[in-house]
Amino acid sequence: MVYMPRAFTRLLPVYIFMAVVFVFFAAPLAWLIITAFDPEASAEFHVPKGVTTKWFSELIKPVGGKYAKVYPWMWIVNSLIISTAVATLVTALSVLSAFSLTRYSFRGQSAVLNLFIILRLMPPMVIAVPIVVLFAKLALVNTYHGLILVMSALILPFTLLIADGYFRTIPSVYEEAAMVDGCSRLKAFLKITLPLATPGIVTIWLLAFVTAWGEFLMPLVLIGDPYLYPASIGIYYWFGMYGRIEYGRICAFSIVYSIPSIVVFLITRKYLQRGIAGLVTR
Amino acid sequence: MGLPAELTGRLLLLPALVLIGLFVIFPVAWGVYISFTDMTLVGPKAVKYGFVMFKNYLRLLADPDFWNSLRVSFLFTVFSALIGQASLGLALALVLRMEGIKGKTAVALVVFIAWIIPEVVAGFTWGSFAMKWGYLNAMLDPIYRLLGMKYINWLYEKPLETIIIANIWRGTAFSMILFTAALESIPKFLYEAAEVDGASSWQKFRYITFPLLSYAILIDFILITIWTFMVFTMIYVMTGGGPGTATELWTIFVYKRAFTPPYTLGYAAAAANIMFMIVLALIVTYLVMIRRIRW
Repeated sequence: MVYMPRAFTRLLPVYIFMAVVFVFFAAPLAWLIITAFDPEASAEFHVPKGVTTKWFSELIKPVGGKYAKVYPWMWIVNSLIISTAVATLVTALSVLSAFSLTRYSFRGQSAVLNLFIILRLMPPMVIAVPIVVLFAKLALVNTYHGLILVMSALILPFTLLIADGYFRTIPSVYEEAAMVDGCSRLKAFLKITLPLATPGIVTIWLLAFVTAWGEFLMPLVLIGDPYLYPASIGIYYWFGMYGRIEYGRICAFSIVYSIPSIVVFLITRKYLQRGIAGLVTR
Repeated sequence: MGLPAELTGRLLLLPALVLIGLFVIFPVAWGVYISFTDMTLVGPKAVKYGFVMFKNYLRLLADPDFWNSLRVSFLFTVFSALIGQASLGLALALVLRMEGIKGKTAVALVVFIAWIIPEVVAGFTWGSFAMKWGYLNAMLDPIYRLLGMKYINWLYEKPLETIIIANIWRGTAFSMILFTAALESIPKFLYEAAEVDGASSWQKFRYITFPLLSYAILIDFILITIWTFMVFTMIYVMTGGGPGTATELWTIFVYKRAFTPPYTLGYAAAAANIMFMIVLALIVTYLVMIRRIRW
């Protein structure tokens, strides 16, 4: 009992700090969620008169305004197509490269790794201007294959470094045992290491998927056709359209669009934390 | 078996290097070329552009808007990342490490969600949240009443402060996770030994936690500086760089020069290249720090 008041006065500032932080981080998200279910959705503060799911069901209607024949779900489908393609390409290339970097040794490997660290930290805005000029010449503007290739090139350094770190943790002794039995290095990798690495490869695919899913700059400068917008660009122009902003449907759409990101990051949370931990624990 | 192992190794790396070479490295090089021309996105100079050598760079150095964008980016990075995210992230990591505290998971989770939702959603949400009659001011209402103040129209009267606060909200999770990991790597027996010697909490922080954390703090500083310096989407969606040029980060400066009238691609490319040089210096510092490069 003697310790009670002391513990309380010691912990009170901690709880006050936690409460303030919680409110600061939760409040904008609370606005988004409340507004998506508010019959009179707006950015102005008011007490909602009820709860509705109409904004979610009305997402099947056209966007309206100058996008009279464009449907919000099209943007989700577009994002799905682009992100799936990017994630698959990037995962395949990351695994191949990580295999090369961790199972072979040749001169220039550390230079390659340094190059990928530099590209991982490079501002994408640096290539925005030349990419648009290049794509205009190659007739790749407003095409998905062009967009997918450039987005993959920008995301690859990120996933490649994860793959490299991951394959270093998988011992190569099993492969070597198989090689003694007459397997080639490649065959041993495909038959033994790859199955062992499935969880890591799935994680890499998922991280690449959500990175592409949230991508904004490249589609902004390369895609001008509203039918081809990914969800990120769709929301941006929907929000910026002249006239009354449709808060209800935009908030509902934002939530639908955010769910894959949240789910994937919650699944891969431990893995991400380990990745970040790797930066500081030597 | 056929190929020698070294060659197979190199060949496996080839697809990745080709993709990067064509869509990142070649564009970077071409961006340098464009920055020496008066190329525009539309109009006659889109095709028949001429070489102007260093004229774009010299014009930039005399352009107050360019210096303004540098100043905005600098303040944005210092206050939102180095001061805001790093200290809040460290404080959170220290709290998350304390024993017998309830509600830690909930706090960590909202911080984490703010970091992972798509950036355009974060920008749209903050742009609406900070409106004059929006939720932010409604929450601050008691404080306004207490001080007898009128509502602040955040996005118009305090735009730079608002984007700084919004970016603290967006990016604190990274520092929190990094510091949590760094704290976990500090062996507990050090604290137990210090307790035996009668050290206070402050002394334990000052003489154990802080010195052992200094490497993590340096890594955190440099990474969040680089990442914050290249923020575009969230702020572009929130304010578009306005009002006027009050929140025009260098990324928004480049975007506007290139993709809004008068579409001066050469000029925008020059600005982008100058900023890339600054970022590159930071990246090399980082590589040296993690000792990938040995002199």
